[in-house]
Amino acid sequence: MGEREPVPISGMHAVSALGRGTDAQLAGALRGAPAFRPVRRFDTTGRRVTVAATLPDVGTLPDELAVAIDAACRSAGLTSVQRAESALLLATHGGPSSQPGAFRADRLVRTGTAPTADRGRITVTGGSTRGPGDGVGPAGRPAPELVARLARRCGLGSPTRTYASACVSASTAVADAAAMIRRGDRERVVVAAGYLVEPDQFALFDAGRALAVDGAVRPFSVGRTGLLLGDGVAALVLESTVATRSRGVEPVATLYGWGRAGDAYHPCRPDPAGRGLARAIGAALGRAGLPAEAVGYVNANATGTGFSDASEAAGLRLALGDRADRIPVSSTKSLHGHALEASGLLELVVTVLALRHGKLPVNAGWLGPDAACPLDVVTGAPRPVASPYALSLNAAFGGANTALLLGAP
Amino acid sequence: MNAQAATPGVLAEARWPEPGDGAPPPLPGFVHSTFHPLAAAVAERCLTRRYGERPAPPQVRCAVVLASVAGDRPSAEHVRATVDAGGRIGPLFFFQSVSNSVAGHIAARWGLHGPVVCLSTTEDLRADATAAAELLLYDGDADEALLVLIEQASDGTPTGAVAMLMGGGTGS
Repeated sequence: MGEREPVPISGMHAVSALGRGTDAQLAGALRGAPAFRPVRRFDTTGRRVTVAATLPDVGTLPDELAVAIDAACRSAGLTSVQRAESALLLATHGGPSSQPGAFRADRLVRTGTAPTADRGRITVTGGSTRGPGDGVGPAGRPAPELVARLARRCGLGSPTRTYASACVSASTAVADAAAMIRRGDRERVVVAAGYLVEPDQFALFDAGRALAVDGAVRPFSVGRTGLLLGDGVAALVLESTVATRSRGVEPVATLYGWGRAGDAYHPCRPDPAGRGLARAIGAALGRAGLPAEAVGYVNANATGTGFSDASEAAGLRLALGDRADRIPVSSTKSLHGHALEASGLLELVVTVLALRHGKLPVNAGWLGPDAACPLDVVTGAPRPVASPYALSLNAAFGGANTALLLGAP
Repeated sequence: MNAQAATPGVLAEARWPEPGDGAPPPLPGFVHSTFHPLAAAVAERCLTRRYGERPAPPQVRCAVVLASVAGDRPSAEHVRATVDAGGRIGPLFFFQSVSNSVAGHIAARWGLHGPVVCLSTTEDLRADATAAAELLLYDGDADEALLVLIEQASDGTPTGAVAMLMGGGTGS
C-alpha cells in the first residue's frame, strides 16, 4: 500500500446517549440538545455531581461491544471469511471490569449468577449498586481476555490487542489499525471501543473535581466548569483501498491521515502551549499530504475543562496558524458526554456522519467567548460543511495526543 | 514516514529488581500501589543506561509504551471497595487510575515527546509490547520507544518490571 494511500472506512456503528446506531448519532448531533440527565444506574449519594449522558436501556459492555462489532461488519458487507481474516483492536479500560450489568429503564435486569436476594434492583439510597458485571466474576477478568472472547464471538481473526491509554485509547487504536494496513499486515482491521458510565470511574472523576458542577459541558466557553461522562460504544472497519475495490464496496468515509505525539510536560496536565497536540496534527496532515488550509472542521477534544481547552486552542493555533480562528470547531462531548477510552471512536463516527450529511454539529453549552480560546466555535445552529476534510482530536493524561484526519469517501 | 522500516534493536534494558534492589523508591503523587513506582524506577534505570543524564536528546522522538495485563489492580480494587462501602476516594486515585499518568511522568522527566501508549496485554508482555512498538517505529511517529513492562502475580499485585529502549540504532 502506498505511503500516502488513504485508508477507507467501510463500515461503522455507534451507541451513545444520543441513541442507537449511526442515524441516531447524526440526528442527536444535529439536534444539538445535550443528553445529560440524573444518573439512576448507580448510587450517586455524596457526589458533587450526579448527572451523566446515559442510555436508559443498555446491555453489558461485552454484549454492547459484540453488537457494535457485528453491526459494523454487517454494514461493511463482510463475509464470514473476510471477518476471519480481520484483526481486532479494542479500546477499553484495562483494569478489572466495573460495569454494573444490563439495564432497562435504568433498572438492573440481567442478574447472571449474583446470589443476592434483591438482585435486579438498583439501590438508590446507599450501598452497592454493582451487578454481576459481564459474568466474569466480581473482579472481572483482564481486558485481553475480553478482546479474545469478542474476536471469537464475532468471528474475527488475529492479532487482537487492547489499548488502555485513557482518553486516546480508541484514537490510538485507529491510528495503529491504519498503520497495520499500510504496512501490509492485514487487509482489514476492526476497531472497537466501549465505555459505559459506571460507579468507579464516576467516583474517581468526582473525587478529582473534574466533573462540571453546573451539569453542562461548555467546551471553549467562558464559565466552563468541567466534563461530564457519557456512554459510548462504537466499532468500525478499516480496509485497504485494494480490498474495498476488490469487494466492490463504497466506503462510508476515508482516513487520510493520523498522528500521535506526547507533551513531555506533566503526568496529568496538558502542555499549556499545546505543542504535543500540534505535532500530532502536523503528523496527520503530513501523512495525508494536505496543507492546513484543507481542514474544514475540527471535532475538538475539548472537555469543558478550563486549562485543557485553552491548551487545545493553543495547539490548534500552533498547528494551523492564523487559520485556527477561521476553521469551524466544536466538541461533540458537549452533547454525548465524555466516553473516556471510547471517546475517540464515538467522535470519529459523529465527525464522519456530519461530513457526509453536510452539516457541522454545534458546540452546546456555549455562554460566550473565552479570550484563552480564540476559535471559530460552532454555536447556535449547525453550519454547512465547506471542506471535505475534518480533524478529530483527542488528548489524555500522560500528555498523550492524537489527531485523525477524516474525509468523505 | 516509515523512517524506521528496518527491524529496530534493543538499545538498553533494565529490570527492577536487580541484585541489591529493595522496593522501588516512592513516587511523589502516586499512592497505595507499587505499580507506578516500579514503572518509574525501571524506566529511570533503562534511560540512564542509554543516555546517562536527563533529558534524552531533543532530536529523538521517543515513545513510551507501558504494558501490563491488568493495570494497577491494587488501586482499582481499593477504589472498588471504597465505592462499594459508600466511602470517599482520595483525589490522587483519580490521576493514577490510568497507566498514562506514570507514562507521562516518565516522558516529562526525560523529555520524551513521542506517543504515549498503554496496553493491556496477554501474559507475553514482551512480545505484545514489542509488536506495538515496532509498529509505531515503522509508522514514523517515533524514532525510539521505551517499553515498560509491569509483571504481576495472578491477583494483579505488581512483582517486578522490565524496561527496554528500542530503536534503529546499534545499541551501543
